[in-house]
Amino acid sequence: MTIRNRIFAVVGVVIAAAFLQTLIVLQVEGRRAATAASVDRAIWRLENQADLGRVIVELDAALRSADPGGPPAPPAERDRLWGLYERAVALLPSYLDSPESKRELAAIDALMREWRRTPPGAESAALMGRVRASFDRFETRERGRLGDERRKASSQSLQSTLLTLGIPAVAIVMLLLLVAFVARILLDPLKAIATSAKTISAGDFEVSLPRESKDEIGDLVRAFREMITAVQRRQREVVEALAREREQSEISAALRTKAEREHRRLRATIETVPVALVIVDAETGRIALQNRAAGALVGHEPGDDAAREAYWRAFGVTTRDGTPVDVRAWGAERVLQGQMIVGEELVVKHADGREIPILVSAAPLREDDGRISGGVAAFQDITSLYEVDRLKSEFVSIVSHELRTPLTSIKGALQLLIDGRPASDPDHAMLLTVALSNTERLVRIINDILDISKIEAGKLELNARPHAVDEVVKQSLQNVEPIAHGALVNLKADIDAGMPAVHVDLDRVIQVVVNLLSNALKVAPPRSEVTLSARRAADGFVAFSVADRGRGIAADKIGLLFQKFQQLDGANTRKARGTGLGLAIVKALVEMQGGKVSVESEVGRGSTFTVTVPIAEAVVGSP
Amino acid sequence: MKVLLAEDEPDVQLIARLSLKKAGFAVVTVSNGIEVLQRVAEERPDAVLLDWMMPDMDGYETCRRLKADPATASIPVIFLTARVQEAEVARAMALGAVGCIGKPFDALALGKQVLELLERT
Repeated sequence: MTIRNRIFAVVGVVIAAAFLQTLIVLQVEGRRAATAASVDRAIWRLENQADLGRVIVELDAALRSADPGGPPAPPAERDRLWGLYERAVALLPSYLDSPESKRELAAIDALMREWRRTPPGAESAALMGRVRASFDRFETRERGRLGDERRKASSQSLQSTLLTLGIPAVAIVMLLLLVAFVARILLDPLKAIATSAKTISAGDFEVSLPRESKDEIGDLVRAFREMITAVQRRQREVVEALAREREQSEISAALRTKAEREHRRLRATIETVPVALVIVDAETGRIALQNRAAGALVGHEPGDDAAREAYWRAFGVTTRDGTPVDVRAWGAERVLQGQMIVGEELVVKHADGREIPILVSAAPLREDDGRISGGVAAFQDITSLYEVDRLKSEFVSIVSHELRTPLTSIKGALQLLIDGRPASDPDHAMLLTVALSNTERLVRIINDILDISKIEAGKLELNARPHAVDEVVKQSLQNVEPIAHGALVNLKADIDAGMPAVHVDLDRVIQVVVNLLSNALKVAPPRSEVTLSARRAADGFVAFSVADRGRGIAADKIGLLFQKFQQLDGANTRKARGTGLGLAIVKALVEMQGGKVSVESEVGRGSTFTVTVPIAEAVVGSP
Repeated sequence: MKVLLAEDEPDVQLIARLSLKKAGFAVVTVSNGIEVLQRVAEERPDAVLLDWMMPDMDGYETCRRLKADPATASIPVIFLTARVQEAEVARAMALGAVGCIGKPFDALALGKQVLELLERT
């Protein structure tokens, strides 16, 4: 049953009770009024009765006086009294309720009438005595009845009072009941819900709700319970969502960290690669990023925007054949239209004036939507490639020249010999000598080339052992003796006494010294001296020096001496040409054994080449 | 017919001299460009054979100077060189040479080759 219906029911009961109460009150009040009326009548009757009694007493008194023993009552007095009696007795019967009383009164009245007829005397006195006795009985009985009626009225009045007082009390009780009822069915559940709401708002969903009655409160409790469930579910969802979000944010933070690390690595890589890299922004046409190599390429360090802008101007680009190139039109526009540039050659000008051949590769940079936002260009300095290329063709050229020269002599000598003159011809022996010596020269050249390629490939192995300095000197001099003889040059040895053993590959050291001696003999003028000396040098080394009295070498050419294929045209007589590999081999062999090569030269006075090799004692682990 | 032969390699010079003599040439030999310029006026050769690579003054420079001097400009110059790549030959021709003979040359045909080149002019 709904609360409204229940309240209607309760109010209905209360109204019914009030109605009933009113009926009861009305009835009680009616009875009380009736009782009060009967009491009033009784009182009134008693008053009349009293009048009657008084009349009777007066009559009695009058009679007594009239009778012997007393003064007789004047007749007038007796008549007045009689009149009073008759008035009183005439009224009285209508107020008497009981027939008993009426009978009594009729008896009294009969006696009185008898008395009236009787003359005063004893007889009337006797009658009066009887009247009085009857009246006393009558009065006693009437008074008793009056007392009963008073008690009855009084009791009814009390009842009525009680009722009057009781009805509001009942009403109050009923109101209290109503309030208690309302409190029980409305306030208690509401309070419980309020408490639950507070508990929930504090975060605790463990609440005990009132049972779900089949009324509005029940609906409220059900709704509240559903709300709790919904809130709990929502909260759970929120918590889960927050957890997911945190997880997501942790993931994205991790991704960001990773991306930043990758970015740093990429930046470091870009900075480190020897290839010049430039990223150009499509909108501004400016350089958004350039690495160190890009700056170094043209001698402009990466700097502010202006410096970057200046980069292109400094670029000073031409094609290989020297035609000026507008780098924007040539490259930037092509790339920004989506073309790739793969390995095209240009020449840029370095700030120091050098022209640097570069290989340009470029590609557009595209956004996710395919829009071209810029371009990345890589410039590879191919100077060294050109240098290698140049050296290679120079090598081929020189080697072919150096090979062709002895071959020319050999071929020509043999052709002339075969073509035939008698063996006695003096040219005959000369041609054979030419063929032989040029064959030997070819062998030397080929050995040099093999040596240098072994050295460069790191495949030349040295067999270093302790050897006496004298041994090196003796064998070297023996080797070049014939050349010196032919060149009319005086070979001298100048060895300090008590030289320690040296830790060397004997054959290779002899090769070095022989090479230096051969060079000296080539440049030494006839009848001059070439001196091989051996001295103790600092820090556990022995120095071998070869001095000539040749033309000397200009200071600016000395640096070129030990480079491959360098032949000092002009400063040298080129009387005896080599491969241009000799000194390069010397330098490599000496350095491989821990020594150094040096030259002192003065134009017009001659040159002294010195090589150092380690003393055996100074070499750890040498036997 | 007289040729001035400039060759710094003594053995090559010897072979070339013997070859040319065999073919009937009178041969004057020198070992560098400077000597060519010194001797050319006095010798008045019918041709100058120049080695390409020589110390002190190489074949190019010698040829350039010969052609630059009206007194010697008319003397035909033939390069005798190991460098017979097209670019080198073209350069020699641009300098006014009548031709190039590669090394190693044919010692039995050298005189004939020189004559052929001279006849072309």
